[in-house]
Amino acid sequence: MIEAVNVTKKYNDGNQALKKVSFLIDRGEFVFLVGQSGAGKSTLFKMIIKELVPTSGTLKVFGRDVSRLRGKEVSVLRRNIGIVFQDFRLLEEKTVYDNIAFAMRASGASPREMRKRIPQVLEQVGLKKKVYSRVNELSGGELQRAGIARAISNRPAMIVADEPTGNLDPQTSMDIIKLLRNINVKGTTVLVATHDQQIVDELKKRVIYLEEGRIVGDQEKGAYVRAL
Amino acid sequence: MLFRNILFFMGESWKNLFRNGWMSLASIGVVAVTLFILSVFVLINMNVHHLTEVIEQDVEIALYIDEEATSDEREQLVENLRNHPEIKKADFVSKEEGLERLRDQLGEENGLLEGYENPEDNPLRDAYEISMHDPEAVSSVAREIETYPAVGGVEFGEDVVENLFDFTGVLQVTVMGLMVALALTATFLISHTIRLTVMLRKREITIMKYVGATNWFIRWPFLFEGFNLGLLGTVIPLVGIYFGYESVLQWIDANLKFFPSLIPLETAMGQVIILVVPLGMALGIIGSLISMGRYLKV
Repeated sequence: MIEAVNVTKKYNDGNQALKKVSFLIDRGEFVFLVGQSGAGKSTLFKMIIKELVPTSGTLKVFGRDVSRLRGKEVSVLRRNIGIVFQDFRLLEEKTVYDNIAFAMRASGASPREMRKRIPQVLEQVGLKKKVYSRVNELSGGELQRAGIARAISNRPAMIVADEPTGNLDPQTSMDIIKLLRNINVKGTTVLVATHDQQIVDELKKRVIYLEEGRIVGDQEKGAYVRAL
Repeated sequence: MLFRNILFFMGESWKNLFRNGWMSLASIGVVAVTLFILSVFVLINMNVHHLTEVIEQDVEIALYIDEEATSDEREQLVENLRNHPEIKKADFVSKEEGLERLRDQLGEENGLLEGYENPEDNPLRDAYEISMHDPEAVSSVAREIETYPAVGGVEFGEDVVENLFDFTGVLQVTVMGLMVALALTATFLISHTIRLTVMLRKREITIMKYVGATNWFIRWPFLFEGFNLGLLGTVIPLVGIYFGYESVLQWIDANLKFFPSLIPLETAMGQVIILVVPLGMALGIIGSLISMGRYLKV
């Protein structure tokens, strides 16, 4: 599903965010990406959705080299990836329903599909009662549920979540990560970048360790602190 | 593009227009001023051409007979006019007839002519109205017949025609310069208004990008916004021109008895609309394209 071969990213200011990174993530996997701030997690995420391109090496997503995708192909790529953000990135003046509808419309869904799909995804994330609540009336956990509902609304093959529990208390974080695991159980590939030791240790999933732009470890059923 | 998307884009573009109320108003104002000046210029130009044609067709020489001329001299003059190769026809207009015509032209205001009823008091002179085979020959023929005996004076419209052409020439250069400057200001203001919308909607644009909206899905509302600004900017000058030109026509009709008729309101408005509406839309769209090129990297 994601295949990175010697992916290197050098920014214009000379900072080398990723250094010859190689890994393979298969369909249906749940993978944590852990590392300090500045380790290169966000750079890697941005490359997966082609917001950035590698300076050298190849990054294939769904079997296609992202560097070679043009115009509409980038849109198609992004429609197949649900993105979950640390700061939720919801439109505060709109309702939960309208936020999801906004995203679905932008990715080409018909009003009919929206009416059918939005209640389904809100049920799935446990936010059905808040469908017509404004985003600025929601708690932190509810905001992230709404963010996840939006991410899965287009039935993406993969979810990438960048620090999804970064702004949440430990209990809510655990709820959110379990929600992502449930989505994964139904077949969606999930990639989570995190600092949160508790959730990584609890789930015992594959962990890729990044340090200063290099992969320093990759363990099945790993823990936050890399076993040597 | 799907029909439901068109409706969505239009809705979004109107919302944006109201969100940036003052900037939108400024853009519409400049478009309106630009197009208003252009319309006035077009109307003047059209009418000057129209009048020139009317005058050229009508260019005649008015030959006034010297009151002191003897009947022999008068007969000689008739003979000369009849035999002149350039002259198509020469109609005699007696001074009584002249007074009658003047009375008709003045219409309700013919009271001005009170006191001239008695033939002794008629201030006009007997005349010939001479038309040419070739209007270009007017001035040379006029100079020639001025020397005939019994001729008290000669008048023709050449100066008017030349002055009209000089006037439109100067007007064209001045107005074109002004127009270019105003059109640039209009596109600049429109592009700034749209830039404001892009800034206000940055969050929405980012989300749209991440969920896989195509570039054009993101761009269309901004293009519609520019289009709306341009279109609204054309409404004001068109309404203004309609009522303004109507009053000018009415004023001329009421006050300038000898002035030839101008182009009718409907014909003139038709021409102005054909020019102004597409231009307004074009200014709007160019403004949005500039802004999108600079500020909307999608």
